[in-house]
Amino acid sequence: MGEPIMSRSPSIATLVLAALLAAALAAVGCASSKKVSTTPPPPPAPEQTQTESPPPPPPPSSDEQTEVKMSLGDAFFDFDDASLRADAKTVLENNARFLESHGSAKAVVEGHCDERGSVEYNLALGERRAKAAKEFLVSYGIAAVRLTTISYGKERPFDSGHDESSWAKNRRAHFVSK
Amino acid sequence: MDLNTNSSARGRVIPLLLLALALFGPAPVRSQTDVRIGIKASGTVKSPLYLARFRAEGGAQGVADEARGVVRRDFELSSVFAVADVDPLREKLTPDPSQTGSVRVEGLVEAAAAGMFRFTGEVFDLGTAESVFRRGYPFGPSDLRAVMHRFNDDVLEALTGERGIAETRIAFIRQDGRYKEVWVADYDGQNARQLTHDRSLALSPAWAPWGSEIAFTTFKRGNPDLYLFDQKRGASYPFSTRPGLNTAPCYSPDGKWIACTLSRDGNAEIYLISRDAQTARRLTRNERIDSSPSFSPTGREIVFTSDRSGSPQVYAMDTEGSNQRLLTLEGKYNDSPQWSPKGDKIVYASRHDAVFDVIVMDSNGQNPVQITYDAGHNENPRWSADGRKIYFSSSRLGKRQIFMMNPDGSDVVQLTQGEDTFNPAVGPRPRKQTTQPTSG
Repeated sequence: MGEPIMSRSPSIATLVLAALLAAALAAVGCASSKKVSTTPPPPPAPEQTQTESPPPPPPPSSDEQTEVKMSLGDAFFDFDDASLRADAKTVLENNARFLESHGSAKAVVEGHCDERGSVEYNLALGERRAKAAKEFLVSYGIAAVRLTTISYGKERPFDSGHDESSWAKNRRAHFVSK
Repeated sequence: MDLNTNSSARGRVIPLLLLALALFGPAPVRSQTDVRIGIKASGTVKSPLYLARFRAEGGAQGVADEARGVVRRDFELSSVFAVADVDPLREKLTPDPSQTGSVRVEGLVEAAAAGMFRFTGEVFDLGTAESVFRRGYPFGPSDLRAVMHRFNDDVLEALTGERGIAETRIAFIRQDGRYKEVWVADYDGQNARQLTHDRSLALSPAWAPWGSEIAFTTFKRGNPDLYLFDQKRGASYPFSTRPGLNTAPCYSPDGKWIACTLSRDGNAEIYLISRDAQTARRLTRNERIDSSPSFSPTGREIVFTSDRSGSPQVYAMDTEGSNQRLLTLEGKYNDSPQWSPKGDKIVYASRHDAVFDVIVMDSNGQNPVQITYDAGHNENPRWSADGRKIYFSSSRLGKRQIFMMNPDGSDVVQLTQGEDTFNPAVGPRPRKQTTQPTSG
């Protein structure tokens, strides 16, 4: 048997770098070149105070200095919700700019959930999150054929903890280079 | 006592006899429902069962002791009996009306030729001192557990009118590093073995009514697809690999259909797919999530989860997709419903105060009763084949494990240990019982 799940999953370092780059893009306000060296910028301030949770700032990566191939940040969600928060839209706008400037790049949008609730419901919820993120990018002008979606529900948590700070990181639409 | 006297063909009259005794005798009776030995199936009130040490002939005492240990646990797990240990009879029983509703179980294991054994079990009503059940079971060393499970189920059928579940099996999902695989085990979690070895994500197992097949979701080709595992061949085959979700399978009672969740139309909707995969019927149509279908025992209705109101709630519909109606009127988050085998109840998981607990309600949505409390998250409730038990997963001790309890929440027993284990699925009873009556 193949291991598509394994082969698709990027390293944590890549995730962190992607998130950091998204933050950098937000700060600079322009698209970046494909190869970017990563000096960690400060994490972005939350756009607004969320009732459930603010987006978790990614932990700084000091031991990794690899180059980023695809700098698409994660969009985070509230519990049992697939609607795009303001901070998620900011991230997705940056992702859209990146995809715009890298016309050949294709991505898989993974929908993820926190550990609460059933396997089956969360698979459906994760799909709604992935599709919400994709639809935002498509409405921005990115060709739909460049983006495929898949839901892992709650089965591939980014953070294995059992509290809100972990859950907040796991409720996300995550982009993987295709 | 004499295990070799003829006492066959009595089992059918005993339930009525015991019913009369239970209703008019001193044994505790909660209400005049379907009571055979003075208790309700919930097991809140238990009937005393005195279990003698099994005798042995031909040097089989070790086997006899092992056999007794197996059926002792079966009797206890049934929640029908309160088991007490006694010595084998040396003298003939005498009637004791004050013991009406209590039974005594004796056993004999004889070593036979070619490494085979023969177990003979007998049950006495202590009120009348009459033998009320007696049967012989030949078995080989590897069949000991299976034979004692059958004896337990036979005794329960003879005394209560309904077979036990000791012969049934369960499936569940167990984590293995980054992977999740389907496992199967005996009804009590024993003899657990890994079924799939896909080194992927396997989820949501469901048993076919004929028992040899398990439907499940797997990501082994990258997408959440539905596969059918044939336990006779030890291999799985793709069943629905449509784009998007192929999840949450549930067989119809006649085995001709598999209800499931597909999202090929854009979002999660409930479908019926014929077992031969030739026909697919869409049952739900809305912009929100519809998932986790479960058939009523008649096959005429389906209970399911939908967040069409804004949060997940339990709904029911006719199998044609018509008459969709909200059932859960309490709670903001209700999911994973399953119809009881008798059709009168629905069990589901409800999120309240940031925890999940198991709820049982009437099948029309009335009278929800919370049956787990203050013990981590309790989810994935699934009825046993006889409806006397509810399997569920619980995080009460850390990682999720499979537990079993009575439908009133009593007698909680942990069945699995080790890695994260969830998604219990309950297999059917064996189709045909092949017990061998004792001819005397």
